[in-house]
Amino acid sequence: MKHKVLKTALYVVLALVGVITVFPFVWMVLSSFKTNGEIQSIVQTLLPQEPTTDNYMNLQQTFDFLRYFMNSIFIAVAVTVLVIYTSCLCGYVLGKYQFKGKNIIFGFVMMTMMVPWSVTIIPRYTMFMEAGLQDTYISLILPVMVSGFGIFMMKQNMESIPDELIEAARMDGSNEFQTFHKLVLPLCKNGISAIAIFQFLWVWEDYLWPYLMIDSEEKQLLAVGLTLFNGRYSTDYGGLFAATTISILPVIIVYVIFQKRFVAGVAAGAVKG
Amino acid sequence: MKRFLSFCLALILVLSLAGCSGGGNTAGTSQGTQDTQADKGLEIMGDNVTYDPNHLVNNGEPITIDWWVWATEDMFRSIAEAYQEIHPNVTINVINNPWDGFFTKLPLALQRDEEGPTLFNIHNSYEHLLLNYIEPYDISTDDLIADYPSASTHLMNGNIYYMDYGLSTGMFYYNKDLWAEAGLTDDDIPKTWNEFIEVAQKLTKFDENGNMIQAGYNYNNYFNSTVIGLNYQFGDNLFSADGKESLVDGDGMKDAASFLIDLYEKYHVGDKDFGTNYDQSFYQGQSAMVFAWGFFVGNLATNAPDINYGTFEIPTQDGKTPYAYYRYNGESTPGINKNATDAQKEVAQDFIRFFLASDDVQIKLSQDGGLIPAKSSLMEAPELKDTPIVKTVGPHIDRYIWPGAMPSTVENNLKIAGEDILYNGKDADDALKTAADTIDIDLANADFTSSESLYAYYEE
Amino acid sequence: MFKRRPLQSKSEIWMRNIAMGFLIIYMTIFLIIPVVIVIAGSFHQWNPLNQTYNWIGLDNYVRMFSYPTFWQSMANTVIFCVVVVFFRVLLGLAIAYALNSKLMKHKTLFRTIFYMPTVTPLVAVAYVWKIMYNPQFGLIDNIFGLDINWLFDSNFALPALMVMTIWKDFGYAVILFLSGLLSLPSDCYESASIDGANAWQTFRYITLPLLKPTMLFVVVTSIISYLQAYVPVLVMTTGGPGTSTYLSSYLVYDQAFKQYNFGFASAISLFILVLTALFTVISFKVTGANES
Repeated sequence: MKHKVLKTALYVVLALVGVITVFPFVWMVLSSFKTNGEIQSIVQTLLPQEPTTDNYMNLQQTFDFLRYFMNSIFIAVAVTVLVIYTSCLCGYVLGKYQFKGKNIIFGFVMMTMMVPWSVTIIPRYTMFMEAGLQDTYISLILPVMVSGFGIFMMKQNMESIPDELIEAARMDGSNEFQTFHKLVLPLCKNGISAIAIFQFLWVWEDYLWPYLMIDSEEKQLLAVGLTLFNGRYSTDYGGLFAATTISILPVIIVYVIFQKRFVAGVAAGAVKG
Repeated sequence: MKRFLSFCLALILVLSLAGCSGGGNTAGTSQGTQDTQADKGLEIMGDNVTYDPNHLVNNGEPITIDWWVWATEDMFRSIAEAYQEIHPNVTINVINNPWDGFFTKLPLALQRDEEGPTLFNIHNSYEHLLLNYIEPYDISTDDLIADYPSASTHLMNGNIYYMDYGLSTGMFYYNKDLWAEAGLTDDDIPKTWNEFIEVAQKLTKFDENGNMIQAGYNYNNYFNSTVIGLNYQFGDNLFSADGKESLVDGDGMKDAASFLIDLYEKYHVGDKDFGTNYDQSFYQGQSAMVFAWGFFVGNLATNAPDINYGTFEIPTQDGKTPYAYYRYNGESTPGINKNATDAQKEVAQDFIRFFLASDDVQIKLSQDGGLIPAKSSLMEAPELKDTPIVKTVGPHIDRYIWPGAMPSTVENNLKIAGEDILYNGKDADDALKTAADTIDIDLANADFTSSESLYAYYEE
Repeated sequence: MFKRRPLQSKSEIWMRNIAMGFLIIYMTIFLIIPVVIVIAGSFHQWNPLNQTYNWIGLDNYVRMFSYPTFWQSMANTVIFCVVVVFFRVLLGLAIAYALNSKLMKHKTLFRTIFYMPTVTPLVAVAYVWKIMYNPQFGLIDNIFGLDINWLFDSNFALPALMVMTIWKDFGYAVILFLSGLLSLPSDCYESASIDGANAWQTFRYITLPLLKPTMLFVVVTSIISYLQAYVPVLVMTTGGPGTSTYLSSYLVYDQAFKQYNFGFASAISLFILVLTALFTVISFKVTGANES
């Protein structure tokens, strides 16, 4: 009996939190089918009274959000892949090799995690201006292709690989590069998927740096595109709802499809931490 | 099965988005053609600054330049198109970068040599940041000043880098339908602030619970722009006699600020929580009066074409001619990027000459942008006689003060001060003092000197 | 652990040299040099647009410490950080604990839902919430029948940003704690229940200490990211009303890329670095004090 009450209570509370979590999304999607007048009217209803797809139609004429979306995906994937590789490589050397100065380097890597963007962005801005790299994707990828966080996670991960395995490969005459690529990398799946998720989200959310660097409309990223849209059509709430829906919904769908991997990946990274 | 379904859903979504975007590829890609005909049989335009269209630019070779603007891109695009019609080898891409961040992005882009914008709109509050990147106009300054008298205030080291194509100031916009609904007629247009309060109260409506459902006057998110200049009616200039320090913490500004606050808190003709933006509230017909600059004419045309509105001049304390009604400011001509290539600069200089010499262009700018033309020959132009701003403030424009190319820090800090007083319950004296301190540091860094002393009635 | 041995083969030395060489060069270019530039810049009046770079000694620091907005932004940042981290941990832990209970079914469904806001882009979410907070047609006032101008009332504006951030990010903590809980050895619980410990005691004396590594991870990564938060401010309030929602990173953005006071912005950003280091050390001390 006691269990039953407890169980119901738990369900009610969690369901409530769940509704609060999802509701803004539902409201956003529904509002994106309302006219501007309806959105701003004093009397509010949840469902659109005269549903319209105009918001989406107008949006595609002026702003190519699908393109921004693809650009964002491209940058996020490129950065993620590079970060994974550099993290694994450095993590492997730091985790499995013994050499002088190793602890100093690792300590230094740990410290870099604390340096906020606000410190590096001013000199980075100056450096990239001097180098004439504005409006290139290099400027977006280069400064974030090594992550202290990633190296830290991969070092933990590498340390848990039994030395015997690596030693056996060496006995078989495989050189270190082969060992790393053929043996070690596949063994780090969990760690890799953890970094992949964190890194992907960080790049996905990054706003200021791409905003400063990218000028061309066709190279623009999603987050920046949204603020540009809002800057140009600040009174078009319907359009803004449509734009945010296009930026949010595909991510949610991809996430729901792959949520098992997502969760497993995040978990794998953190428990070790 | 579930998995398969959700995959299909995702696929459909992505495909449908791709389908929508396919048709959305617009403008900017059309390249100019070779131009071989120098003599186009067109008339020479202009009075002192003249433009002879019968020549080739860039030897008739196709060339593309970018022009950055922050608003009313259609208006600027139509001017660019008029130029392209004369010179079909030139393509001018008008690029709209929103006002928020325009001056964050622009300095970056200007350092990109030929890849940056060749032409860019300027707001004179950012002059000190941009001067380093502007190429002076390749037109005799005497001619410029002869046609555009206010250009003399933009003379720097014997050059003109940018100037005004129009003058703008603030005025009241009222919703004629709401006006009539409240039983008001044209005779009720207020001349004094007391009359204004009376009218505003009639235009303010509350529901049975005492909640405001219609505001007589709304200045939300526009307090700072409104209050700067109101100080003249309340007895103070904006800057000290040497033009170096702000008088933002002086009595004139304090009284002006308190007056605006009183309109909400004492006379209840509006409310700080009634909508977050004065302009949107006016578009929605929820606020009957707003104070805005000439540009609002253009904004209304784009955002709320159905609103039937009129304008009236800013009231005064006693209905008589004050020391000054308010401030005015110039709307600036585009700057030319110093780092662009010679070919790009040649086109840009040619375009600027066209831009300044063509009366059609200038009339369009003043009409659509809600301006008083800066070109003296157009003051009496029939097309402009009946525009809201000319009708409303034209007769008294000499009683408006230009404080100079006032750096943006003044508006930014008064925004903070205004919100501190209105929303955070801070004491007005303290808030304005804080603003003045920050403004003075920034003014010194920007090496600013006010132009108030040039005002004809400065000694009054 | 297998016995440690020095590097042997040539390829191992190559591997080390490549990896470490790359790392050192990269870190030098993208971290050490920038930090040096920032430190040097903080002693200058520095505006890249008109090529000003004048030595002014400690003036930027003097101005910073006497600048009310700076202190306001620091106070806001600390409050923002502490409150959001606290609720993220509390909600995350509570919900993970509930989900982990044997009574619950549909775990995957709940887990999926709670983590959903985390994967969405913050800028987009911030715009949606900005409209939700609108006093005239916002969702929140309408649902609860309130009449609060959330983002323009200094009592509510910063909390409004915090609520949005907590909503967005608590799912991350749920997932982390959930996997922490799943990885706990079950024999501890068995011995605890044999000893007659009640649910709270089990949680307090068994579960919580065992979760310490996860806790530390969540707390430290959260602190570091929230001390740098600025997007909600940028999108939703631009620091207002007045300066009541200025966060220190937003102040850096404003000073650097709107006012072009690079020197002054550098000084502020160095202060944020110190603050981050301090907070990280404190959380290591508090959470992991009795850890090895």
